Amino acid sequence: MNSLSEGAKAEAITVVLLEDDAPTLWRLQDALTKAGYQVKAAGTLAEARACLAQGAPKVLLTDLQLPDGHGVDLIRETRRRFPDTEIMVISILGDEESVISAITVGATGYLLKDAFPTDIAATVRDLVAGHSPISASIARFIVRRTQSTPEPPPGPALNTTKLTPREIDILWGIAKGFSYAEIASHLGLSRQTVPGHIKNIYRKLEVHTRGEAVFEAVQQGLIKL
Amino acid sequence: MNDHADDAQPELPGRERRRLQSSRLIQYLLLQAVIAGGCVVALLQSLPGPPAQYQMTAFQLSQAGIERAVTLPYFSPRRDAMNDPPRFSAQFVRPSGEAAQPWSVFLPRFTNGVEVSVNDVVILDSRRDPTANRPDRNTPAIAVIPASVLRDGDNAISIRLFIWGPITGFLDRIWVGPDELLRPSYDLRTLVFVTLPVVFSSWQAILAVILGIMWVMRRHEAAYGVLAAAMAVGVGQAFLQTPMGGETPLSKLNVILISSAPIESALVLTFALLFSGWKWQRYGWILFIPGVLLALAGLFGNQAMVRALFLILAVPMVGISLLIMAIVTARSALRRPNVASLLLGCAVTIMLTCWIADLLSVFQMTPNRIFTARLSYSAMLVAIGAGLTWRFARALNQVDGFAGRLVTQVREAEEKLKVSFAREEERARAAALARERTRLMRDLHDGLGGQLVSIVALSERGNGSAGIGDAARAALKDLRLVIDSMDDIGGDLMLALGSWRERAMAQLRPHDIALDWRAVTPQGLPVHPELRPWHVIQIVRLLDEAVTNAVKHANAKRITVRIETLAGTDGLERGCITVEDDGKGFEITSDGAAAGAIKAARGLRNMRSRAARCGAELELSSCAQGADHGTDQGTRVRLTLPHRFPDSDGAAG
Repeated sequence: MNSLSEGAKAEAITVVLLEDDAPTLWRLQDALTKAGYQVKAAGTLAEARACLAQGAPKVLLTDLQLPDGHGVDLIRETRRRFPDTEIMVISILGDEESVISAITVGATGYLLKDAFPTDIAATVRDLVAGHSPISASIARFIVRRTQSTPEPPPGPALNTTKLTPREIDILWGIAKGFSYAEIASHLGLSRQTVPGHIKNIYRKLEVHTRGEAVFEAVQQGLIKL
Repeated sequence: MNDHADDAQPELPGRERRRLQSSRLIQYLLLQAVIAGGCVVALLQSLPGPPAQYQMTAFQLSQAGIERAVTLPYFSPRRDAMNDPPRFSAQFVRPSGEAAQPWSVFLPRFTNGVEVSVNDVVILDSRRDPTANRPDRNTPAIAVIPASVLRDGDNAISIRLFIWGPITGFLDRIWVGPDELLRPSYDLRTLVFVTLPVVFSSWQAILAVILGIMWVMRRHEAAYGVLAAAMAVGVGQAFLQTPMGGETPLSKLNVILISSAPIESALVLTFALLFSGWKWQRYGWILFIPGVLLALAGLFGNQAMVRALFLILAVPMVGISLLIMAIVTARSALRRPNVASLLLGCAVTIMLTCWIADLLSVFQMTPNRIFTARLSYSAMLVAIGAGLTWRFARALNQVDGFAGRLVTQVREAEEKLKVSFAREEERARAAALARERTRLMRDLHDGLGGQLVSIVALSERGNGSAGIGDAARAALKDLRLVIDSMDDIGGDLMLALGSWRERAMAQLRPHDIALDWRAVTPQGLPVHPELRPWHVIQIVRLLDEAVTNAVKHANAKRITVRIETLAGTDGLERGCITVEDDGKGFEITSDGAAAGAIKAARGLRNMRSRAARCGAELELSSCAQGADHGTDQGTRVRLTLPHRFPDSDGAAG
């Protein structure tokens, strides 16, 4: 059967899933397990850390608001300890408030809590394949931040100074609802290179270390002065 | 005065500038030569006299006991003859037929005083007329011979000429004849040499007041103060009388004032220097030495000494002042050509010419003794008045121009301010909205959103409650729409449609319906700066409705969304969004409502109302409406956006 062969392929793929709401945790776990992933479920940060202590998972899916802390800390730790682990945030609304703060510490994209099981599996599969998805609303938030404004806009802090004009063009395309193929043809790119650009965008938005964060803050301050 | 005019001149090459300078100099000198020539011609004209038949020139002069025949005009070599004045005597005939009309003796010019007697009766003593006692005025005299004194036939006339300096005595030709024939000549001379100077002195007094006020209001322009002082001194000098009596403190002051010509000329010269841009120097006091010396002589010496000094000090001082002024005004007229300097230069030329003529007359090099220097001073007064008025008018024009520029600048600044204020207001509004959105987002995220997600998850666990899960999922979707539409998209509806595409695809995926997204024009839709979140919500909900209809009622396999910008017939650009499906379509009744299910009908009515609120046009067509549509399949919803979105949520219906 098709699902069996898929399951066999995904046998080695481990997913750590951190979600404090039990029904949601159950449906996400169900969707991923059915798709053949090896899922370690956790309800608290402590449990998730215990799971991570056993070894690097391929994928970490985590909620942000947790009973014993904030998911951003876990993402930062994981990114530092396991650079190869793909991290995604589980969001209720897919709003930039939660997603951007996760992106800046190392997450690549988000998964909606009410997504259909097939979509959940597809998203994780794309992620493992190296395709970091980016939503139109997040792309929109990032490109709006690249436009100079006299006062800092509300919402989470984001440093977009490293983005190249081309990357900003790609983000504009995504924000306006164009597909990768359409963006590639508009910008004269090969369709296959677009996911790579998006991965780069994520990497550039990430604040890697505490020292670098301070340095960047000072640099931005200096630029504004 | 400053050198702005110099700075403003374009920098010319040296040779070119020298050529221009020399051509200007030649022009200026030519003009002055013409003016001087005109003056000479005017001075050579003698005033018309009475009929020649009444003129008397042959007299017997008895002086210091010696008697000899002389012909008038007579220049006396003496400078002082008060005790034994030269006496001129002659005979004249009054025809017997003319007894009815009065006869007069007319003396057009004499220095310094005359006593006329006819038949040994004194009929005129000019010393009693104060204006006649001023040798610088060419005051004429006339006296009617009393009828009782005059006889038919021969009559004797004798004139005693009093001389008290500073110049030598002089007696012009005289006329004896009918009063009506002599008087017009006398009146003309009085007008020119007596009345006119008084008029000019009044003008000088007015100038003194105007310049004084100007200096008081503008202390930094010392030139006006100096000129005001010069004018005041001139007025005092003109209206005071020559003292003839003994020495009193008052008469001393009088003497000082009446001999103030060197002070006045020094003041006018100082004005001319300051006016031409010269800065006052300590050595400038040299100019005032002659005037001060004369004043000291008047204070400590006697009148005779003052008179003697006047000739040595005052006359050359006036001449030197005029010469320096001529040079200075010529220089400034050449450097900065302007009306005031040119007028002053011409006036100086006139005065200088007259002064030379007077000097020649004093040294008896001309046949007459009419002094014109003081009279020509009026030319200077006219020039000063005209120059002042010109400067005043020019300053007013500059003020007007400046005010005009200022008004324009203020208006421009106001416009800019208004624009930036509106921009600032817009920015503040957007920031407030963004803050509110962030707050709302957190609230929904923490509360409602989490609960809805739980409902979705719980409904999936129990198999029988799929409807609840769908409803909760729809509620979440709507929640995301509300939050999304509140985001600042800068009037670019494409940004809202981008998010909508993602949501629509997520919605269609479980139903295996493909979403074909076609942006026909590269930029998609026009940007609408007036676009507000509630417009976005209406449009996105309308599109949601169209997609939902296709999913629920049409059994469609493919939905196509076309986005394009249309150029309307009125030349304005309008965005157009078309949602098309390949489903079975439905019947549309004549009133535009769907004939099918009640639910679908309500959906269509909602869509129409949403379109109307945004000022957009909604066009519905369905293949079931008529078979002649041929290739047309399914339902098409065509939304044409307005060129400008309405400000208020007005048209509902």
